[in-house]
Amino acid sequence: MIQKRDNSKATEPAQGRSAGTAPTGRRSDHVDEMVTTKGWDTSLVWRLMREVRGHRWLFAGSFGVLAVLFLLELAGPWILRGAIDGPVNAALAAKSSGALADAAGWRQSLWWWALAYVAVAAVGCGFRYLEISFLTRTGQAAITDIRAKVFAHLQRLDLAYFDRTPTGSLVTRVTTDVENLNEMFTSGLVVLGFDLIKILALLGVLFAIHVKLALVVVAMLPLLIGVSMIFRGGARDAHRTVRARLARLNGYLQEVLSGIRVVQVFRREARVSGHFAGLLKHYLAANVRTILLFAMFFPLLDFVVNAVQGATVWVGGIEIAGSILSYGVFLQFWLYVNLLLNPVRELGERYNVLQSAFASAERIFAVLDTKPNVREPDPERRVELSRDAAFHVRFEQVSFGYIEGIEVISNVSFEIPPGASVAVVGATGAGKSTLVNLLLRFYDPTHGRITIDGIDLRDYDLMSLRRHMGLVLQEDFLFAGTVRENLSMEREWIAEEDLELALENSQARTVIEARAGGLDAAVAERGATFSTGERQLIAIARALAGDPRLVILDEATASVDSGVEGQIEEAQRKLLEQRGSLVIAHRLSTVRRCDEILVMHRGQLRERGTHEELIATGGIYARLYKLQFS
Amino acid sequence: MSPLLASFRRFLRYKRPLALGILCVPLSSLGDIWITMLVGDALDRLRAGDDPEFLRGLFLLLLVIAFARGVFRFLQRWWIVCVSRYVENDLKQALFDKLTRLSFTFHNRSRSGDLVSRLTSDVENVRMFLGPGLMYTLGALIMIPVSLAYLLMLNAPLALAMAVPLMIMGLGMKLLSPRLSRHSTSVQESLSDVSSRAQENFAGIRVVKGYGREAQQVARFESVSRQTMGHQVELGRARGLTHAITWGAKDMTFVPILLVGGWAMIDETLAAGDLFKFIDLTFKVFWPIIAVGWMAGVFPRAKVSAARIEELLRDETEVRESPTARTLEHVRGELDLRDVSFRYEGAERDAIRQLSVHIPAGSILGVVGPTGSGKTTLLNLLARLFEAQGKIELDGVPIGELSLSSLRGALGYVPQDGFLFSETFRENVGLGADRPLSDEELTQLCALAQLTDEVAQFPQGLDQLIGERGVTLSGGQRQRTCIARALARNPRVLVLDDSLSAVDSETESKLVTNLQNAGAGRTMVISAHRLSTVRHADRIIVLEQGRAVETGTHEELLGRPGWYRDTWARQQAQEELSEL
Repeated sequence: MIQKRDNSKATEPAQGRSAGTAPTGRRSDHVDEMVTTKGWDTSLVWRLMREVRGHRWLFAGSFGVLAVLFLLELAGPWILRGAIDGPVNAALAAKSSGALADAAGWRQSLWWWALAYVAVAAVGCGFRYLEISFLTRTGQAAITDIRAKVFAHLQRLDLAYFDRTPTGSLVTRVTTDVENLNEMFTSGLVVLGFDLIKILALLGVLFAIHVKLALVVVAMLPLLIGVSMIFRGGARDAHRTVRARLARLNGYLQEVLSGIRVVQVFRREARVSGHFAGLLKHYLAANVRTILLFAMFFPLLDFVVNAVQGATVWVGGIEIAGSILSYGVFLQFWLYVNLLLNPVRELGERYNVLQSAFASAERIFAVLDTKPNVREPDPERRVELSRDAAFHVRFEQVSFGYIEGIEVISNVSFEIPPGASVAVVGATGAGKSTLVNLLLRFYDPTHGRITIDGIDLRDYDLMSLRRHMGLVLQEDFLFAGTVRENLSMEREWIAEEDLELALENSQARTVIEARAGGLDAAVAERGATFSTGERQLIAIARALAGDPRLVILDEATASVDSGVEGQIEEAQRKLLEQRGSLVIAHRLSTVRRCDEILVMHRGQLRERGTHEELIATGGIYARLYKLQFS
Repeated sequence: MSPLLASFRRFLRYKRPLALGILCVPLSSLGDIWITMLVGDALDRLRAGDDPEFLRGLFLLLLVIAFARGVFRFLQRWWIVCVSRYVENDLKQALFDKLTRLSFTFHNRSRSGDLVSRLTSDVENVRMFLGPGLMYTLGALIMIPVSLAYLLMLNAPLALAMAVPLMIMGLGMKLLSPRLSRHSTSVQESLSDVSSRAQENFAGIRVVKGYGREAQQVARFESVSRQTMGHQVELGRARGLTHAITWGAKDMTFVPILLVGGWAMIDETLAAGDLFKFIDLTFKVFWPIIAVGWMAGVFPRAKVSAARIEELLRDETEVRESPTARTLEHVRGELDLRDVSFRYEGAERDAIRQLSVHIPAGSILGVVGPTGSGKTTLLNLLARLFEAQGKIELDGVPIGELSLSSLRGALGYVPQDGFLFSETFRENVGLGADRPLSDEELTQLCALAQLTDEVAQFPQGLDQLIGERGVTLSGGQRQRTCIARALARNPRVLVLDDSLSAVDSETESKLVTNLQNAGAGRTMVISAHRLSTVRHADRIIVLEQGRAVETGTHEELLGRPGWYRDTWARQQAQEELSEL
C-alpha cells in the first residue's frame, strides 16, 4: 500500500487527443481508427503475399473455384439461348411450315438441353459450396499463420516494449487487425481481383455477342461505377462515425455499471440517464445519416440498372424487329448484363474493405519490424548456464536508465556469493526493482556489467539463464487455467513430486486443498478467485516447484488476510533457504535473515553490510532500526 | 410470441412514419413487376412485327417507373429503418434507466457483460427482426404472391413447376439459419478466447519472461487460435451450404423454364415475351424469398432476445421507499446500529453478524480489520444499498422508513475503488452537489481535499477531462477527487471506504485534519487498511468475519494484545522502512 505513492503529477493526455470539455463530443469520433490515406500500396501487398506464400496452392485453388464458377455462370444462359434459338425456333418454323412430326421431335430434344442445364446447376451447386468454404479456409489458414507469427514475435520483444505499449492495443494487433487481414485476403484480394477479371471478361463476351448492345452497356457503366465509388466514401465515414459513437455509448454504459454504487448513493440516476440520452441522440444522428445514405444509394443504383436495361430493350428491340437479333441471343445478353452488374455494384464496398485492411496490415508490420534490444547472444559466444554452476552473481559498476540520459541506478557494484541472500531496502524509486529487472535480463545495463560465475549475462543463452531463477513478484500474476498449470508453468522438467514438495514447503497445501479439485481447481482470470495472500502463496509455490538456484523475491507490501500472513513468512523462509537470492525486502524480519543488506538511495548504493554491521556503523539503517524499537 | 409483441408495441409509437413506410412497400414492389411486364409485352409486339418506333416511348416510361420506384424504395427504407432506430434508442434508454434503479442485490448477482449484451445484441436482434426484417418480409409478401399469381395466369403448369425449387430454397434458408447462428456464436466465443489469452499474456509478461515460458505461451496461444480457425472453417462450411442451396435452387428454376416453357412455346401456349417474364421475375423473387427464409430462421433468436429485454424491464428488485417514507428536515448525523446482520445472496455465512454500534452525531468511527472481514459491506448497509436485518437508525429513525433522498442526501460516500466518470474534473466533483457549483466553491473543495496543486497543473484547469480520454489520475488523486465529490454535498455523515490507501501519509494526516475541521459536527465513518488513518477516531471497531472483535480508542486498543496492536506494530515498521 505504502509502495503506491501519490506522485501528484497528472499524466498528460495521449498525443493527438486534445482535451476538451464537451461531455459528448464529436472530438473522439475518429480516434479509434487509424486509416491510411493511400488507396493502394503495392509494396504492402507484395509483402503480404510473401507472408502467405506457403498457402499459394490454397489461393490458386480459390481462384480456380471462382474461375470454374464463372464459366458455369456463363454456361447457363448459353444453354438457354441454345434451346430457344435451336429446338424451339426450329419447331415453331416446322409448325408454321406444317411439319407437325418435326415439331414433336424438337420437343423431345429439349430434354437434352434441360439435362445439360441440370448438370450445370448441379456442378454449380458444388462449386457454390466451395466458393465460400474453400475461400474461408484459405483466408483462415493465412491469418492463423500470421496471428501466430505476430504473437511469437511479441514474445521475443523485450519488456521495454510492453512497458510503453498499452495492453489493449497489443491485443488489437492479434485480434481485430489480423481479422481485417482475413477480409483483405478473401473479399479483398481474391474476390476483388477476380471481380475485375470477371467484369473485363464479361464485357468481352458481351462484345462478342452483340457489339451495339455491348456499347450501350459500356456507355452506362461509368455512371454505375461512379455512383458506387461516391457512395463508398460516404459509407466508410458514416460507418466509422456510427461505430465510434456506439463505442462511446457502450463505454458509458460499462462505466455506469461499474460505478452504480456511486450513482445510487449520490442519487444521480436522473443525471446519468440524461447523459446517456445525450449519447443516444448522438448515436441516432449518426445512424440516421447512414440510413439516408443507404436509402439513397440502393434505389439510385437500381435506377441506373433499370436505365441500362431499358436502353438494352430499346436498342435490342430495334434489332429484334429487324430480325438481326434472335430472341435467344437477346435473353442471353440480358442475363449476362445481370451477371455483370453484381460485381460492379460491389466494387465500392470491396474497396473499402481493402483500405481498412491496409491500415491493419501496416500496424501488424510495424510490430513485426520492431527489434528487441535484449537479444540472444551470437552462437559463437553463447554459453549454456548449467544447473551445476556455482551461481556467483556480480554487479560490476552497473548503471541503467529507462529513458536515455536519466539514470535510475548509477555505478552499483555488489555480489551475491553462492547460496547467500542479499536484501535490498530503500524508498520507492530508489532503484530496487531495476536491480531485479537487470538480473533477470529484462533490460541490459547501459554501463558496467553483470556476471554469473564471471561470464557476462549477455553471453548466456537467455532460456538457460532464466530457467534456473525463481521469481516472486510483489503482486504476482496467476493465469486462467488450473492451479497445477499455474504451479508447473509447463516446465516439462517439473515432476509431480516436485509439485507436491513445493506445496508442502510453500504452505500452500491447505489453501489449495480447501478448493474443490485441489491441484486441478480452476483459476479464474488473473487469479480473481484467490485472495491476495493466497495468490502470494501460490506464487511462492510456483518458484519453489522449479527448485531454482537463484531466487528473486519482491516482497509484498500490501497487508494481507491475517490468516495466511504467517504462512507466507514461513514459505519465504523455505524459498530462501540455501539458495542465492536477491530480495526486495519490506519487512524487518526478512531483512534480518539475509546475509547482506544493501541500502539504496536515489539510485545509489549507500550502505551495505550485515544487520549487525549496519547497526554498528550508525547510518541510515541504524537510525531506522532504532526508530522502530524505541 | 408475446415478448416480441410487447416490443412491437414500441414500434407503434411511431405510427405515422411506420404507416407511410409500409404503404411504400407495395408501391415499389408493384413497380418492379410492372417493369418486367412492360419489357415482356414489348418483346411480343416486336416479334409480332410492330414498328419499333414505340420503343422510345417505352424507354421513357420505364425511366419514369424506375424513378418512381426508386423514390418509393427510398421512402420505405428511410421511414421504416429510422423508426427501428428510434425504437432501438427508446429501448436502450428504458433499459438503462431500469439498470440504474435496480438495487445492489441485483447488480451483485448479474455479470455486467450479460447486462451490456441486453442493451447491445438483444436490442439489435429485436430491431433487425421488427425493423428491416419487417420491411423485407412485407416486400416479399407482396412480391412473391403477386408474381406467382401473375405467372400462374400466364401459364399455370410452368408457374407451379418453377415454384418448387423456390420453395425448397426458402425452406433451406429457414432450416440452415439456426445452424449458421450457432456457428457464428462459437466463432464469436472462440475469438473472445483468443483475445483474453492474448490479454492475459501481455498483462503477465513479466512472469512469462521471468520463467522463460515464451515458447509454451506461443503454443497455448496457437492452440486457441487454431480452435478459432476450426470454428471459422465450420462456419464457412455452413455458409457454403446455405449459399449452395439458395443458388442451386435458383439455377434449378431455369430447368422447368427451359423445358416446360420451351414446350409451351412450341405448343404456342406461351408467348416469347412471357418466357422473358418468367425468367426476369425469377430473379426478382429470389432475394425476397431468401429474406423470408432468413426471417423465419432468426425468429427464435429474436424471440429470446425480446424475452430477455422484457424480463429485465419487469425486474422488481429495487430498493423500495416505503409509501409512508419520512423526510428529515435537519439531519444531526447520529447513527445507531443494533444487532445488524447481513448475508449476500447464495453466501454460506453472514458477511455481517450481530453487529451493534452507536455513533453519536459529530463523532468519528474507525472500522478496521483484515481483508474480507466485512468493512465495505457494513458501509454499504449504512447507505441502504442492501437491506440489512436488525436495526439501523439515523437520528432515531429506522433508515427503511426514511425517503431515499433524505437518507442518501445526508450521506457523503467515498468508494474504495476511487470510481470517477470519464468526464471533466468539474463534472465529477459537481456530481456530489445538488446544484451547479461556482468556481470559488470548487476551489475551496480542492483545498479541502488537498488537490489544489494538481488542479493547478491540469492544462484545462477545473474543466480538465479525466480518464482514458483525458488525463490519467494516480490512485491517490482519484481518491482525493472522490473525497471532494463527497464533500460537495456538504453531507452530515461522511463515509470513507478505505479511501486514503493510495495517499501518502503526510497528505493523509493533513486531509484527515481538514475533514475534521471543515464540517463542524459532521459524523464520519472511516474504514481503512492502514491503521494510521483512523488513529484519531473517537472509536475504532475491529471486524473479523463480520463481527466486532475489539472496540475502543487507538490508545485503548494499543494497550491490549490483539489484532490491532500486532498490525499497528507491523505497519509502523513497514512505513519507516519505505520512508528511508
